[in-house]
Amino acid sequence: MHSPRLQIDIEKRLSNFNLRVNLSLESEILVLFGPSGAGKTQTLNAIAGLITPDRGEILFDGTTLFRSREREETVNLPARLRHIGYVFQHYALFPHMTALQNVAYPLKGDDAGGRALELLRQMNLDDLAGRYPHELSGGQQQRVAIARALAAESKVLLLDEPFSALDQSIRQRLHDELRALQSRTGLVVLYVTHNLEDALTVGNRLAIIHHGRIEQVGTIDEIFRSPRNTDVMEILGLPNIFQARVVEASKGCSLIDWKGLRMAVNRELSGETVSGYILPTEIELTDSSRCSDSDGTVPGTVISLRHSTTHHRLTVRLANGCELDVAIGKVETLRPGSTICLRIKEDGVIVAGTTIAR
Amino acid sequence: MNWDAVRLSIQVTLVATGVLFVFGLLIALLLARFQFRGKVVVETLINLPLVLPPSVVGYYLLLALGRNSPLVEWFHVQILFTWPAAAIASAVVGLPLMVQASRAAIAGIDPVIENAARTLGSGELELLRRITLPLARRGLLAGLILGGARALGEFGATLMIAGNIPGRTQTLPLAIYDAVQSRRYEMANRMVLIMTVMAFIGLWAVRRLENGRNGR
Repeated sequence: MHSPRLQIDIEKRLSNFNLRVNLSLESEILVLFGPSGAGKTQTLNAIAGLITPDRGEILFDGTTLFRSREREETVNLPARLRHIGYVFQHYALFPHMTALQNVAYPLKGDDAGGRALELLRQMNLDDLAGRYPHELSGGQQQRVAIARALAAESKVLLLDEPFSALDQSIRQRLHDELRALQSRTGLVVLYVTHNLEDALTVGNRLAIIHHGRIEQVGTIDEIFRSPRNTDVMEILGLPNIFQARVVEASKGCSLIDWKGLRMAVNRELSGETVSGYILPTEIELTDSSRCSDSDGTVPGTVISLRHSTTHHRLTVRLANGCELDVAIGKVETLRPGSTICLRIKEDGVIVAGTTIAR
Repeated sequence: MNWDAVRLSIQVTLVATGVLFVFGLLIALLLARFQFRGKVVVETLINLPLVLPPSVVGYYLLLALGRNSPLVEWFHVQILFTWPAAAIASAVVGLPLMVQASRAAIAGIDPVIENAARTLGSGELELLRRITLPLARRGLLAGLILGGARALGEFGATLMIAGNIPGRTQTLPLAIYDAVQSRRYEMANRMVLIMTVMAFIGLWAVRRLENGRNGR
């Protein structure tokens, strides 16, 4: 049976919540995504051996990095023996060493300098080898930190909000570089961020963490198509989140009621209430003269509209008081106060928790 | 000029500074990096020599090094009224200065930087040698110079436990006192000048170190 390369199953009591993390990683970039204070950094610290979990297990390629179970002797490999590359949030470069000395830090032997220079070259930083960290830009410091983390021949790379302090254009390039690096080397990468855009561009898979618990793990597509619960939807900042009553369910279709607004769902639902969200792009404008509940259209008033390059983003208040975020193609005549008629497509109604991707 | 006193003063100060470095650094590391019960008591005890009269410090040292102390009873180390006793007295009064400066310097190092070194394969000793000490070096050096300068000027406690034996335990401050007592003012003037210059150089070096701290 194939087992994942890095397996984490730990518990740790922290001051404001209990951290309970269960993750399995292959040679991939797994993004650990969640709001600030959700336990992301503590998870990385536990894997790196900088904090000790209360119980559980951390395995990498068959080696036990940590194990603590009842009636068993505790295994706790010190950080220095784990060979886990860790890129800290503010890089944590050694300020009294040059870029080259930083990268050469974990290297031993006569050719340490040469190997460090080679690593810097791979990061396109060999010109700056003699500079001190405070003489480097944020992006350059970041790349030195990655080169240093890789110098110890780590097969696992932990990144804590690595690009949070950088400009958008540099982030994009570093994301590309990180993805290329991962596929070239087969590294196991755990990437922590609270920035959704970063999470979506860099990762193969996403793990959503909230209050110290992993809420859901899956590909980006899986999570957006079937978020597990309201917490996940809120953490992802999904629009048009609803709690609705199931009115009818038969033959692979259902009808749900959100404060009087009836919506069709192309799935047979069980249970009395469901939560979910409506994709703003799957709501269309229809002829407002024939707006009625019977043919699945609903009237509303435009509260605000924002322009983007391809879309209007509308906030519409419906008759039931709910507000909907709607994305439509350009319609020149719309302005705040306009009365419009909307039709919510079946495919646009995503119900949470129907299939849980693990 | 009382060259014996100058030589003795330098000898006592060098040894005291060595003692200061080892013990001051250990205590500073302990205080900066660990939380433990009674930490405030330890801090206060170490700072006591700053406010106690030197005669009180000297009296305690007399008890610690005197006839019935464990040092004499168990190890048969008798150093009372020898120059090493003067060095110990000097180190004790210089210790608070060394501990305060180096503790602040060590506490000022971001623990994340030390953690980074751990994940890169460093054990605690290597970490101390390659990261903590180099990063704290200005503070350590400043503390060492301040503590050393204080040791150089030690008078009261030294008098209590090392006495004032010319050529054996009479350091410069004691020699100056003697010179004034016996109205040899010309000699006193010269020794006072030497002391002042040495103290000035020490303090000036500390200022230089502190000013340079921002531009690493």
